[in-house]
Amino acid sequence: MTERLRRFDILLIAGAFLLLLPVLKFQRATDFIIFCIFVLSFDLLYGYMGRLSFGHMLFLGAGAYGVTLFADRVSPNPYLSILFAIAAAAAVGALLGPIAVRTTGAAFALINLAFNQIGHFLALIAFARFTGGEDGMSAVFSKAGFLDLQDKRVAFGFCLACLLLTCWGMKRLTASPFGILLRMIKENETRVKFLGYDTFRYKWAAYVLSAAVAGFAGALSILNYGYVTPSFIDTNRNVEVIFASLIGGAGSIYGSLVGGVVFMTISNYLATYIPRWEMFLGLGLLLLVFRFRAGIWGMVSTLEVFRPRREGEGR
Amino acid sequence: MITTLVYGLTIGGILYIISIGLSLTFGSMRIVNFAHALVYTMGAYFLVVILRVLGLGFLLSAAIATVAVLPVAAGIERFVIRRLYGESLDYAIIATYAVLLIGVDLIKWVFGATPIPLSDPIGRDVDLFGISFPLYRLLIIAMALSIHAGLYLFFKRAIVGKIVVAGLEDKDAVRSLGIDVDRHFAIVFLIGSGLAALGGVLYAPITSVHPYMGFQILLVSFAVVIVGGMGSLRGTFLSSFALGMVIALTGRYWGPAAETMVFAVMAVVLIFKPLDV
Repeated sequence: MTERLRRFDILLIAGAFLLLLPVLKFQRATDFIIFCIFVLSFDLLYGYMGRLSFGHMLFLGAGAYGVTLFADRVSPNPYLSILFAIAAAAAVGALLGPIAVRTTGAAFALINLAFNQIGHFLALIAFARFTGGEDGMSAVFSKAGFLDLQDKRVAFGFCLACLLLTCWGMKRLTASPFGILLRMIKENETRVKFLGYDTFRYKWAAYVLSAAVAGFAGALSILNYGYVTPSFIDTNRNVEVIFASLIGGAGSIYGSLVGGVVFMTISNYLATYIPRWEMFLGLGLLLLVFRFRAGIWGMVSTLEVFRPRREGEGR
Repeated sequence: MITTLVYGLTIGGILYIISIGLSLTFGSMRIVNFAHALVYTMGAYFLVVILRVLGLGFLLSAAIATVAVLPVAAGIERFVIRRLYGESLDYAIIATYAVLLIGVDLIKWVFGATPIPLSDPIGRDVDLFGISFPLYRLLIIAMALSIHAGLYLFFKRAIVGKIVVAGLEDKDAVRSLGIDVDRHFAIVFLIGSGLAALGGVLYAPITSVHPYMGFQILLVSFAVVIVGGMGSLRGTFLSSFALGMVIALTGRYWGPAAETMVFAVMAVVLIFKPLDV
């Protein structure tokens, strides 16, 4: 049953996100979708390559500032701006990647944290003349082609298409030899080296790719909100994407989507009812680490109905 | 210029007192302990409470505040850290970060988010090379030096320290001698946490006390530990004073960049000295 479902999963994801519409406003639903793209980019590093980054907001911020600055200074065309933002985030990733991917575990997390802190400083203080510092700056996009992205409904459709594209790309990527190699690096990097692969190059490529997708998410957020502030590159917000990835289940596209939606639901709605939001987040993280490591999708996918039946399994 | 030097030494001293616990925890338990920042912040808040409520002198209050944090640290060790032995580093990072979030939110709940200023507890200046310095800062430098000497003797002479050093070298070999290594590591954790609280207490009068004071200093401490080498006493000592100098010198020319410069230095160090953790 699952195999057949899996063939149409892009359509199913689209349907599931359309179900959000009756409960949410368009802008909010778009926000959910964009966050899911961000979680997917994080999961490429954490779930597939096994590197926990504590500084992924840097790439989101690079994309967010990239799109705003391009729209402000060069051309208000939204497509060109988004492309520039992706390129900018990828460039940041390409620049920092060689330093970051040589490390593993704690050092990787901390180095990314440090990079993020530098980025935050650059956006907030050093380049405040260009970025507007604490106040941020607004981005105005022109109407390009037949789509008016200022219309929230069109923006929703556009972002949903972007999410589906990202999901499709991730699906292809993780099933490709490159994706399998990444998972091998997660399991045992030394053995991959033994097989003659230059793991550094693959890790670097994955890092740049993850940065680019995160930058994509950042650019789309600006499209949705219309202004950028240093909170898009705030170090302390890294825990959000980690939480989302864990709650959904790391190392799976569906897990990332579930985690993204669940986290956004919690942070948007529960936060209004629970005054001590950070404490709730902390307790949730502890619970996930000590009890439910597989996350929601990890638990769902172990249910009997969904387990793909393997050939030769005596049944 | 000499003022800047003394300022750098003060920051270096504080950084050393805070980072050494982080470094030892990592070296012994292989755990990156974000909850360290919580212990640091709590030390400062306990100091405020004791100064305000009990109205004791600064030195006595500082001592009580440092000791009062120890049960909290022991609780964190018992219920969170101990369950993370042998787990992947990622889970340890996430779990201790969660503890930090919970603790900081608790502090905000009880004390509110407004910064609490504290005045220089000694308020006397000393003349040195014709320039006057606050005595308190010189005291911090002296304290950091004596703590380093004390820790050095502890790991060199005391039997507990020797067991820890041996455990760092080869945990299984020490355990095969019938020694409970984890319990000794727990002692190291408590020493480190106590020092972090002391760092918070000592730094509180220089900056102000607020719930997020731990976050920023924690990042700098991580840089200290990475530059100095995780689990290395002397490395941490040298790198904290070096980075303290970096902060002071950068701060002299461009204030807001002071702490960011530390990360730039760290990145440069990592380019030439990749570390495998």
